[in-house]
Amino acid sequence: MADTMGKLNRRKWLQAAGGSAAAIAVQRTLGATGLAAQEPSSTNPIPDFTGPGPNPYWNSPGQWVSYAQKAPMILLTDRPVQLETPRRAFLSAFTPNESFFVRWHLPVIPNTVDLKTWRLHVEGNVERPLEMSFAELTTRFKAVSVAGVNQCSGNSRSLFQPRVAGGQWGNGAMGNALWTGVRLREILDAAGVKSGSLQAQFEGLEKGMGPRGYGSNRFMKSLDLNNPVLDECIVAYSMNHEPLPLLNGFPVRLVVPGFFATYWMKGLTSIRILDQPDDNFWMKAAYRIPDTPRNSTTPEEMKSGKVPTIPIARMPVRSFLISPDGSSKIPAGFPLRLQGMAFSGYGGIRRVEVSADAGAGWRDAQLGEDFGAYSFRTWSADWTPARAGKYTVAVRATDAKGNVQPDAGVWNPGGYEWNKIERQEIVVGESN
Amino acid sequence: MSRNKWQVLTILSLIFLAALGLRADFRAGFYAPVEQGAMRQMQPEVSSTDANYGAGQFPQLEPELAAGDGKETLERNCSLCHSPRYVTMQPPLPAETWAAEVDKMRKVLGAAIPEDEAKKIVDYLSAHYTPETRKR
Repeated sequence: MADTMGKLNRRKWLQAAGGSAAAIAVQRTLGATGLAAQEPSSTNPIPDFTGPGPNPYWNSPGQWVSYAQKAPMILLTDRPVQLETPRRAFLSAFTPNESFFVRWHLPVIPNTVDLKTWRLHVEGNVERPLEMSFAELTTRFKAVSVAGVNQCSGNSRSLFQPRVAGGQWGNGAMGNALWTGVRLREILDAAGVKSGSLQAQFEGLEKGMGPRGYGSNRFMKSLDLNNPVLDECIVAYSMNHEPLPLLNGFPVRLVVPGFFATYWMKGLTSIRILDQPDDNFWMKAAYRIPDTPRNSTTPEEMKSGKVPTIPIARMPVRSFLISPDGSSKIPAGFPLRLQGMAFSGYGGIRRVEVSADAGAGWRDAQLGEDFGAYSFRTWSADWTPARAGKYTVAVRATDAKGNVQPDAGVWNPGGYEWNKIERQEIVVGESN
Repeated sequence: MSRNKWQVLTILSLIFLAALGLRADFRAGFYAPVEQGAMRQMQPEVSSTDANYGAGQFPQLEPELAAGDGKETLERNCSLCHSPRYVTMQPPLPAETWAAEVDKMRKVLGAAIPEDEAKKIVDYLSAHYTPETRKR
């Protein structure tokens, strides 16, 4: 039990020490030095949960956990498994596989995959149903690569006001990888999609315990066959030049560049061509957004039952300050380099601006290497805070379509598409 | 100086030095008992050369829910599909939101929870996990 892992609670320890001189000295010293909650601390954990206000931390407040093929991650839930990527992993344009966030919907997820029996099926409304082994998939088609951001629809859900139920992600339900695989279109062409087909439905290795016919039994997502994004989709067997970690979808996952991660089916086993619209729970009821400006609404409007909804699709523009992260005090006059990254599902990043005065004045940051329209784009800006004080650094990005990150949040019942300008307090201390 | 005076001076000096030492303690060399546990490193995967690719069993990290009437009912009905961490992860939510969640689990996701037990679960969540009632 992770919560009770550290049984030596400080208060209990002091009680157990029974008012000995040492215990009192420790207690008084703590009080006297003012090692209060606002100081970084190795002994004072953040709370287990946040709310009803917005989560004040960059990541979610969960515990560090250890999983196979993974660096320490932040625990959201243990079954189904949901793990968040720590902030520091975003300092580079590509997120290491071992730190890449994990989000499964159903509890029965693979502990092992046997490539002797694993097959990718292409079925449904096709001329020639296919059943391909991993070896066949990787040799029969041409390999292509794309740098693509995989972001959970509910990334930053814990910033919503009022809070909504769901995975309480901080900002770490995202990652960027170089995905290598085969074009979805080539696979579909090999199977021969029959005329009159409407959608391609995707299903993977995860299964649920709920009754048949319910979303708690199977997880399936569909894309319209006439959606231009299909031309860019790949069935990826390589992630940053490595096999995918099991928790990130080994042996193959669908990559839908520019789209939220809900469509990026992990452990893909079936591509099913439908001649009717997919009405399973995960399309008809879940992952839907209000068909309103910025896909935002209010709890009151939702209660009226008159808000039309559409399936979630492309990711609005976002940007983040990764370093400094506010966990260290900076001496006045210190030559800092503000570093972070930006991305958009509507084409690449055209511009990133930073502000050291909470958004009153802005200046351009320098953009890092361009890995394509769907990748993280790193940025940096040098900044030397001259005097001691509390500064609020803000960052905003503009994408290729000219969309500028707004300085207002959104609200929708699913907790999707948060992309408000992020702010970070930086405390600068006296240096002599 | 009398022997007594020396004794008094020595004691005063010792107290003074002890006070200095105490002050130095919180600048360097200060350790404190903590609530956090240490996280073990996991064995790197060592597998055979067959076609199986694995990551072992996933750790069960289920939190202890707040003690109270209905806790057992919740655990019995909900844990088939998910860990109780799906409750403790949430921010404090209003009772009506908890009622809507339990309703969604039954009617939309097909959880076979009898009506009276669903009510008991909502009452339990309202008693321990709302902005007014949540303690941990």
